[in-house]
Amino acid sequence: MAFAPMGPEASFFEVLDRHRESLLAALRRGGGEPPSGGSHLASSSEVLASIENVIQDIITSLARNEAPAFMIENRSSWENIKFEDSVGLQMVSHCTTRKIKSDSPKSAQKFALILKILSMIYKLVQSNTYATKRDIYYTDSQLFGNQTVVDNIINDISCMLKVSRRSLHILSTSKGLIAGNLRYIEEDGTKVNCTCGATAVAVPSNIQGIWNLVTDAKFVLIVEKDATFQRLLDDNFCNKMSPCIMITGKGVPDLNTRLLVKKLWDTFHIPVFTLVDADPHGIEIMCIYKYGSMSMSFEAHHLTVPAIRWLGLLPSDLKRLNVPKDSLIPLTKRDQMKLDSILRRPYVTCQPFWRKEMEIMADSKMKAEIQALTFLSSDYLSRVYLPNKLKFGGWI
Amino acid sequence: MKGTAVTVFEILRFLIIHWKCDIEVSKGVLLEGQLVISIEGLNSKHQANALHCVTTIASAGSLFGGTVLKKFLKEIQSILPGISAKLTWTSEESSYSQDMTGVTPFQMIFEVDEKPRTLMTDCLVIKHILRKIIMVHPKIRFNFTVKVNGILSTEFFGVENEPTLNLWNGIALVVDSQHYASRPKFDTIESYCSRIHPVLGHPVMLFIPDDVAGMDLLGELILTPAVALCPGPKVFSNQLNSISSVSIFLYGPLGLPLILSTWEQPMTTFFKDTSSLIDWKKYHLCMVPNLDLNLDRDLLLPDVSYQVESREGDQSQNMDLQGQTLLLFLFVDFHSAFPVQQMEIWGVYALLTTHLNAILVESHSVVQDSIQFIVDQVLEQHHQAAKAQQKLQASHSVAVNSIMSILTGSTRSSFRKMCLQTLQAGDTQEFGTKLHKLFCEITQHQFLHHCSCEVKQQLILEKKDSAQSTEDTPDNSSLELLTDTSGQAENKRLKRGSPSVEDMRTLYSARAPSLSEAALGGRAPTAAPLTPSGREACETHSRALAPGRASLGNRLEDALWLQEVSNLSEWLSPSPGP
Repeated sequence: MAFAPMGPEASFFEVLDRHRESLLAALRRGGGEPPSGGSHLASSSEVLASIENVIQDIITSLARNEAPAFMIENRSSWENIKFEDSVGLQMVSHCTTRKIKSDSPKSAQKFALILKILSMIYKLVQSNTYATKRDIYYTDSQLFGNQTVVDNIINDISCMLKVSRRSLHILSTSKGLIAGNLRYIEEDGTKVNCTCGATAVAVPSNIQGIWNLVTDAKFVLIVEKDATFQRLLDDNFCNKMSPCIMITGKGVPDLNTRLLVKKLWDTFHIPVFTLVDADPHGIEIMCIYKYGSMSMSFEAHHLTVPAIRWLGLLPSDLKRLNVPKDSLIPLTKRDQMKLDSILRRPYVTCQPFWRKEMEIMADSKMKAEIQALTFLSSDYLSRVYLPNKLKFGGWI
Repeated sequence: MKGTAVTVFEILRFLIIHWKCDIEVSKGVLLEGQLVISIEGLNSKHQANALHCVTTIASAGSLFGGTVLKKFLKEIQSILPGISAKLTWTSEESSYSQDMTGVTPFQMIFEVDEKPRTLMTDCLVIKHILRKIIMVHPKIRFNFTVKVNGILSTEFFGVENEPTLNLWNGIALVVDSQHYASRPKFDTIESYCSRIHPVLGHPVMLFIPDDVAGMDLLGELILTPAVALCPGPKVFSNQLNSISSVSIFLYGPLGLPLILSTWEQPMTTFFKDTSSLIDWKKYHLCMVPNLDLNLDRDLLLPDVSYQVESREGDQSQNMDLQGQTLLLFLFVDFHSAFPVQQMEIWGVYALLTTHLNAILVESHSVVQDSIQFIVDQVLEQHHQAAKAQQKLQASHSVAVNSIMSILTGSTRSSFRKMCLQTLQAGDTQEFGTKLHKLFCEITQHQFLHHCSCEVKQQLILEKKDSAQSTEDTPDNSSLELLTDTSGQAENKRLKRGSPSVEDMRTLYSARAPSLSEAALGGRAPTAAPLTPSGREACETHSRALAPGRASLGNRLEDALWLQEVSNLSEWLSPSPGP
């Protein structure tokens, strides 16, 4: 693909290129991509058959005068989650489960709602139509109560049937943005070019459906906040550092944003970096991209990019750059609790440099937003900080 | 001249008082024995249109020892001067004289002249008296025989093998609901529990007005209420079963009926005001006294009866006459620092019989508070359980519709066929009907596990496994053990010193807090028979002053009911949501 070369010289990316080589070597040593476990992209007939099997089991129980029940894996329980360096957080093979009984006043409602959503999924798959989780909720908001109920049940169904959410014909609403050296074609044939200058492209809702991805990008930069992303757009960062791709999930990333990051890595194997605030929340968001979340651990293989590196803002950068104290913010109690929680997570043990950075933060009891760098100059981030980091390998 | 019924009642009362007090019956042990009451009526030679009735009260077995018998016979003659009829007694002299420590059956006979209609009424009254007695003395049996001009009828009164709820001081309440109310006609057999589930209230001390003449009591009168719905539903219908009537049963010390039924003496002023005990407006009910009590029925006749006149805001006069009956048991007990003598108890009965109205009026506030508290809880629990049932049924409706949607939408004939075959349905409509029925059945089955009648040691098992399991009902012995165990556990927690009588008065008059949080560790709410501090106060008071006398500390929470309520916790606690 030929783009107008606006970025730095080729020598600028030497360290990046070496990093990429090491990543590819690690992939080759690991035998390529790890086999996909958990949920998979099932065909429509497979999904329909799975649902029918569930119904058959229920009817068989009833015929035996037994109260039917669903056995749901405890997705959000640490005892059911293991960490693998190559994948991140994922569910163990023999999980603890909980029973959703049809004859218990406490769980009967959930039992019924699971069946309700199963019947809706059945119809979506049969008719080859799609709906978002929000759409599902609004079909009978009084029955469901709130969106969280619907979200949890859909995830439970996905986990129970071992089928990806996409295969259930339920979409998640995308909120992420992408910009830079990338083009692709969506499932309906729409051609998308993310090289748009001052504007960004919304992350598509059908990641599995996009094809013909083309890029020359040397790296992918995941930006935590939309404000920082927009700032970089305004500073024409994508062209200055061309060829590159920028993406933001606007905070905690939605499923499609994570799927896109994963797809970019799987397709191109180019280095992926995160630019997050130097605070526990930013670190946690970074961990979600890299290692996955507890609630979606059953789909870890489709969502995590363990090769992600932390570019900035590092707590050690604050001292190195002499960021003034009035640009720093004291850690709240909640921040400290979150920081302690992250430090206890299994993946931190294999990231000594991350651990060290978090300990610096814990010791100083201070945090900082990326915007703190503006004390040096308004465009310090895009003009100096990021280019230096990328050129000289300032990632961990 | 006292009639047959009154005389029989007074003799039985004295007999049981004597039996209970003088026989070394340890507290908690029920009186056991059989009494035979026979009435033989022949045309009177002295009065026209009258029957000369000879009434015999005898024990089928031994009740108490020979020396005690002699004292008993002497005392009964002195306390029953009103019996102008000839009162004789016989005993087996040989066994009496030779074996002073041996037990001896006895027999008392008295004679009166009565009109036939009066005798008929008296016989019905006697039957009700006997029923009332055996309801709290389940191991006492009566054989009642009436022979009028050669025509004989015999009836046996006994509830020995029926389920009971151990209360205190050697009395136990029979909880088989068939004694208290008839089942609603529209009901199916499975919908209602065969037992009532009484909730014990907070004991309160009754105040005796200063102007009430009578014996100076060397103790306190304590009233403990118990409330139950009858029949208790197993499976609640879609609508909350309404209360259609209230039955109040009065018992005095040692579990003897306190007053005769309303036909013998008019309803006391206190009870004429239906809101004396319970504020019915809270439940949008309007209660009126029910004076039309049919003597000729097998159910336990209440001492006071109310019926629902109308519901507030209900324009329709079509009242649910098949609704439940609220049973209210009022147990008045006598507690003293000193060993209580039989005559003292007799005097208490005389006081209560004569001045019950004044005493209740004087104690109105504390009595009403205690009763209102448990009625609120019983009705609230009932309401919550009905709501939970409705929620369950709504959920099942969603489940059925969802399954039907998938079945009817499936293009795979093998799947549809398999579903129909499994439920043996000919078509999808029949399938839907059967599906709905099966879900209803599992709901009923689930609720059966929460009914105390089907549970054994449920409290322990529920902690281990959230899934329900079917088990048998605990027998009374294990119930007693649980009761005692819980009481002992309660005693161990007590550390306060002995309070004064004034302290006890204050404690008793306080509104009962939720003992459930103390007894059950914060589980389902239930009526507290006595606050921990109140029980402690009573126990230490009694231990300090009268070690031999059964104390309020024995009035322990009903362990079985607490188990049932803890089972209901699943029904009653808010769902965390799916």
